[in-house]
Amino acid sequence: MIPTLGHLAVVIGLAATVYAAGAFILGGRSGDAAVLASARRAMYAAFALVAFACFAMVVSLLSHDFSVLYVARNNATTTPPFYSVISLWAALEGSILFWTLLASGWASLVLYRYRARLPALMPWVGATLALGTAFFFAVMAWPSDPFVRVTPIGLEGNGPNALLQNHPFMGLHPPLLYLGYTGMAIPFAFGMAALITRRTDEEWLAVVRRWTLVPWIFLTAGIVAGAWWSYAVLGWGGYWAWDPVENAALLPWLTATAFIHSSMVAERRGTLRTWTHALVIATFVLTLVGTFLTRSGVVNSVHAFTTSGIGAWFASAILVTLGVALALLVWRLPDLRDRRPPGAVVSRESAFVFNNVLFLGVTFAILFGTLYPVLVEATTGAKASVGAPWFNRVNAPIFVALLFLTGVGPALPWGGASWATVRERFAVPILSGVGVVVAAWALGVRDAAPLGIFGLATFVLVVMGDEVVRGAHSRARSRGETAPLAVLRLATRNRRRYGGYLAHVGICVMAVAIAVSATLGIDRTATLAEGETLSIGPYTLTYDKLVTEPLASDPRVIETRAELTLAGPQSGHMATALRDYPNSATAIATPVVRTALGEDLYVTLLGYNPDARTATLRIFINPLVMWIWTGGAIVAFGALFAIWPDRRRTAVAAAVAGA
Amino acid sequence: MRTRWLRWLLVPLLVVPVGWLLFTGLGHDPRLIPSPLVGKPMPAFAGTTLAGGQFSSAELAGKPAIVNFWASYCIPSCVDEHPVLLDLAARHVGELQMVGVLVNDTTDGARAFLARYGQVSWPNLLNADGGVSIDYGVTGPPETFFVNSQGIVVARHVGPLTAAVVAEELAALGIEP
Repeated sequence: MIPTLGHLAVVIGLAATVYAAGAFILGGRSGDAAVLASARRAMYAAFALVAFACFAMVVSLLSHDFSVLYVARNNATTTPPFYSVISLWAALEGSILFWTLLASGWASLVLYRYRARLPALMPWVGATLALGTAFFFAVMAWPSDPFVRVTPIGLEGNGPNALLQNHPFMGLHPPLLYLGYTGMAIPFAFGMAALITRRTDEEWLAVVRRWTLVPWIFLTAGIVAGAWWSYAVLGWGGYWAWDPVENAALLPWLTATAFIHSSMVAERRGTLRTWTHALVIATFVLTLVGTFLTRSGVVNSVHAFTTSGIGAWFASAILVTLGVALALLVWRLPDLRDRRPPGAVVSRESAFVFNNVLFLGVTFAILFGTLYPVLVEATTGAKASVGAPWFNRVNAPIFVALLFLTGVGPALPWGGASWATVRERFAVPILSGVGVVVAAWALGVRDAAPLGIFGLATFVLVVMGDEVVRGAHSRARSRGETAPLAVLRLATRNRRRYGGYLAHVGICVMAVAIAVSATLGIDRTATLAEGETLSIGPYTLTYDKLVTEPLASDPRVIETRAELTLAGPQSGHMATALRDYPNSATAIATPVVRTALGEDLYVTLLGYNPDARTATLRIFINPLVMWIWTGGAIVAFGALFAIWPDRRRTAVAAAVAGA
Repeated sequence: MRTRWLRWLLVPLLVVPVGWLLFTGLGHDPRLIPSPLVGKPMPAFAGTTLAGGQFSSAELAGKPAIVNFWASYCIPSCVDEHPVLLDLAARHVGELQMVGVLVNDTTDGARAFLARYGQVSWPNLLNADGGVSIDYGVTGPPETFFVNSQGIVVARHVGPLTAAVVAEELAALGIEP
């Protein structure tokens, strides 16, 4: 009964979004407020309907209703309630259902917030969002129905994918990532509306900058949480493997980040306007391409997601979106000419142009590496793969150049800078960077990568610190404020600028942590007998015994764990395990990670001999890894600080509106 | 002025190659996963069967054979291919040998599966330590290997067998489908 209602909700939701799209277009042409209001309400209804469908799916999962194929495939009677609930997004059909929930949620939020504003743009924003949501409803109505029933009804289900039920992070990472993905439809919708209505001025940019940052924060948090999940679950000691799924998330993040920077130039200087539009289109298309690549089976040859005909649907949607958006852009090119001549070579806008060129370079390199296997197979029929070393070698220099620009951009004025300004702004930061490199060398760091990143990060941090000190100093002098108050006021009165700086600080922290963890770690593999001891770095690790028993939370899962005693800077008992899931041919590693501020001790069980009671352990000392996650959090917090509504300005605007 | 229309070329220039790439990618069957075993002799195996007897892969020599990896928890894929396997066994008695290998399954689970979806005439190896799955590089059930009468692996199929796949592979083994 409940699954049937869920399916019905999907079908009605499809009708509602199709109606909304039609009504928005009609209302946009006629300006009829009643028609537009009914279109908005249809979108709210679609959100309510898909929310109900998600509820129906969660109820089916929690009640282990194996008459629903999705439940039979992704749930078992022994699955713990938490993993039953999050199984909503553990496989293809459910994740599309969840995706539709978020997409229609974003659409409803934007349509509600701007119901009385931007009357020229909003009908077309609504039409674009409604068409996008309608596509996902249609996918659920035809090729990927989440509520397909099976007969005869099985007594037991397959259980969730073993990898996805091994860590609670699975409850956090996909929702964050999906919120980021689906939210990128908002800037795209505003971009389309601006092109359609020929209102390509600063109005849409001001709105869209904020509405790109909101999903961008989620995307950033989702990518970092995904890296963390991969680190904590997969047991190989790393956090980023340039896997197609990871690249799929990174690509729209890169173009969205480029947009955040180029839109500032477009808004302030009236240049780069075509380019900014192109980035909005690219970001949205890349979210679709990412979904397509990872869900259609084109790149990942794992059989889980391939059987549905969803690939052709996504390929068609990508082509239609790309074709229509490009045609619209080409049609409106005459409106998008630069308003001013481009600035001088040494100016903030040129730094932003270089930044965008580099972001685009990274995007193309990663896209090429990800699609190369598809390209080879399409032309020669052979299987090929592009490994992490290629991605590292190609992308590392570009990321280093981007880090350098992170420091250059904020210190240069708009328009152009004199040689004297350049010397004044950069002398101290460059000298500080060089000083830190020399100090690190003296302390024994010999690898080029960490040395270079230390120098660059110092340069960037000193540039920004100098900006803050300068601003706070003049404020303290002119208004008689104390230094901490001056810094606080400076930042909260200019959130956009200082939020951006804070995000750059987070990037520096991440860059240093990545460079150090990638080069200065220790990695050892050893086979030990019970009672044997191993020394690694400052730690002593004793392998006490091997224990095999069913997992308390899910007795179908058999866990074999090596119990260890640790001594050294950290001490105590810990265990690292391999878990045998009935639906997985390979055992799933459950690494143990001990984190201190400076480094992680990471132990994973590679294998064991049940007769000889030996255990083969791989032990990593990964320095600074936790600072990657911390840096990611700083980046997200900086962006949040930048878009936080300015209470003072809102109050003034309200007073003006009231008067 | 004369060159203004040229910018419209941008649209097909981007859309056509992207479309070509996406759709040719789709045309490839992702289940055709290459296996290093293809063209090589099948890895030998022996052990206890579900019926309680003993089975050795040496018994397969001289006739084309299929080795089918499955499990009772593999729903619905193994359920879907079960009738295909039953049909295959019924139609090629004497010219094709079949053996099932359980992947990480319990004896009770496998027996209940067969009782529910149809008893089979061919032996099913318990493969309790999972060694056979490892030797064949099985990623997950169901997976099927086609072996010719010389004991050489000629094909690997990942995912449930269908009548079409079976017909194609049997033809390659020299059996009238």
